[in-house]
Amino acid sequence: MRRLLLSISDGRGFDIALVSVPLTFLFMMAGLPLVYNIVMSFQEVDMFSLGTFFRPFVGLKNYATLFSMPETWPILKNTALFVSASIAGQFIIGFGLALFFWTNFPGASWLRGLFLVSWVMPGLVVGAIWNWILSGDFGVLNYLLRESGLITGNIFWRSDPSFSLWAVVIANIWLGISFNMILLSVGLSTIPQDLYEAAELDGANVFQRFFTITLPMMRSTIGAIISLGLIFTLQQFDLFAAITAGGPNNSSNVAQYWAWDLSFRQYDFAQGATISVIMIVFVMIASVVYVRSTRHEVRG
Amino acid sequence: MDIRKLALVGALAVASFSTLWASAKAEDVKITVWSLDRDIQPAPNLIKDFNNLKTGITVEYRQIQFDDVVSEAMRAYSTGQAPDIIAVDNPEHALFSSRGAFLDLTDMIAQSSVIKPANYYPGPLKSVMWKERYFGVPKATNTIAMYYNKDMFRAKGLDPDKPPQTWDELVDTARKLTDPAKNVYGITFSAKANEEGTFQFLPWAQMGGGGYDKINTPGAVKALEIWKTIVDEKLASRDTLTRSQWDSTGTFNSGNAAMAISGPWELDRMVKEAKFDWGVALLPLPEVGSKRSSAMGDFNWAIFSKTQHPKEAFKVLEYFVSQDNRMFKDFGQLPARSDLAIPPTGQPLKDAGLKVFQEQLQYAQPRGPHPAWPKISKAIQDAIQAALTGQMSPKDALDQADQKIKAELG
Repeated sequence: MRRLLLSISDGRGFDIALVSVPLTFLFMMAGLPLVYNIVMSFQEVDMFSLGTFFRPFVGLKNYATLFSMPETWPILKNTALFVSASIAGQFIIGFGLALFFWTNFPGASWLRGLFLVSWVMPGLVVGAIWNWILSGDFGVLNYLLRESGLITGNIFWRSDPSFSLWAVVIANIWLGISFNMILLSVGLSTIPQDLYEAAELDGANVFQRFFTITLPMMRSTIGAIISLGLIFTLQQFDLFAAITAGGPNNSSNVAQYWAWDLSFRQYDFAQGATISVIMIVFVMIASVVYVRSTRHEVRG
Repeated sequence: MDIRKLALVGALAVASFSTLWASAKAEDVKITVWSLDRDIQPAPNLIKDFNNLKTGITVEYRQIQFDDVVSEAMRAYSTGQAPDIIAVDNPEHALFSSRGAFLDLTDMIAQSSVIKPANYYPGPLKSVMWKERYFGVPKATNTIAMYYNKDMFRAKGLDPDKPPQTWDELVDTARKLTDPAKNVYGITFSAKANEEGTFQFLPWAQMGGGGYDKINTPGAVKALEIWKTIVDEKLASRDTLTRSQWDSTGTFNSGNAAMAISGPWELDRMVKEAKFDWGVALLPLPEVGSKRSSAMGDFNWAIFSKTQHPKEAFKVLEYFVSQDNRMFKDFGQLPARSDLAIPPTGQPLKDAGLKVFQEQLQYAQPRGPHPAWPKISKAIQDAIQAALTGQMSPKDALDQADQKIKAELG
């Protein structure tokens, strides 16, 4: 008894008590909805049985139906394309800008701060602005492309199935650049300057310094940023709602928007939950990468 | 001693409170109403007037957003917190009636001196029915017809008093009116992948002898082929696939489209914005003499079956209906009734347009009614989009839609 008390006041019991507080909080706030969602994906959910927890279980039927739908694979492919193109674009441009501001010209830090404006803006507002830029007949982007002689006829960014997904990708890249840039700037500033001095004395040129010092030193930051990017782009919903609404003919539809559409526009909550579960798996993988890369950071 | 005194005071207090509460309850029955009407629209104003009448019924109002109507109502219903009265979009009415969520009003309507089914246009009335019983009352109605720019007709040598009557004439006229150099498209409409696309396409399918339950009739396929011709030949902007009706008609108002298919909700804005002579025509037919048809929009009133005060709720509905003659004058909405004459507004273009819409309303067909409407509508939207983007032929797209719909209809 005394031992137990002692362990609670100072020892393993104390640690467990401390850990259990945030764990309970996490479980209540994130765990329960997650479990609820997973349970729902195995049930037959009807809009009038939404309020109860006890609904008929149908096993894997929802998953079977999902994968027999003709639009499933194209939409999953779109999701993969959207995520990889967005992350690549955000990361490369963000990294370029971070390196640019790293040279520390006058006013660099001030300008860098200004870039955050795009990150602060709500997705729906960004979507509305891009809607206007990408508009087919009177869009600014088409005007610029036409005047510079790159295209002859207007591109219908939002209505042409071969461009619609890219319209959202462009907007999403713009939205994510500043976040990538800020995090990468922070990463860059932690690299000790003397490493570069030593390399320069040894005669390493700019590219050698970048690939042998900058990139390896940034490994954990890059890992974290790419997994965060994966999570953020998988969450990107507002832009789809504002720019293409998944259309035309699902050519710009992605899993996250589809899940919403199924649940709240066709009232097929079970199917919506099923897609969410599949997405959870991907986000979990991203989270593991994120946790691993930041753990590395703490140890280093 | 003290405790006994306290108990006595307590008992007295409880007693007096409960009598107070009981008398308050006897005085006023509280009815809650949910709708999407904003402060300048009918519901909140009618409720204010009703409360001023002091009939022993107090109405409380809550505004809900368009997108939330169904989900909020379902959540409220399944948790037992539903309002007494709700305004619901007409294609979704059957979803609730079929589940017993709405109160069957047939007997009350039979005894009512205010609400008479014979006074309503057949389309709106059909949308509140489920299995030959009335589960609501039409709140307002609207439909679509064709606006056209008379000045542009004159400029191209077309007779401004002879708008196209048939589908082929429509395509021909659109070809003549299209002028890429001036940024003018022949026609604008909406094939957006939401309820709006279905709303705009169904009348065409119905005129072609089809309907939501047989969407692949030869006439309906022809209709989709006409749409495809219009988009492929750039007689309408490609953005037709993603633009709402409101935005599409905006391009008509700014002179970038010569014809527009939309509803009476455009009239006020058009009077203000359009700097040209315009008119409204009935929707063109597949051939001269074909059966006319049109879409039917807007909301219905319904009483939830779990209400504590069905009689009082019905009285509130009767009051709303008794004010239908104010709908157009005060709120710019069309009552769903054929027995009410709408007085002229003094705006010649608007009044002429209104006449056409009223005629078109005679042919308005409700979407459904069917409890699985959202899925049926989605199948139709998918077909339209697949055909217009060229991923499927109109015939294949509608065949696929028909299969999906048949599966829902069972």
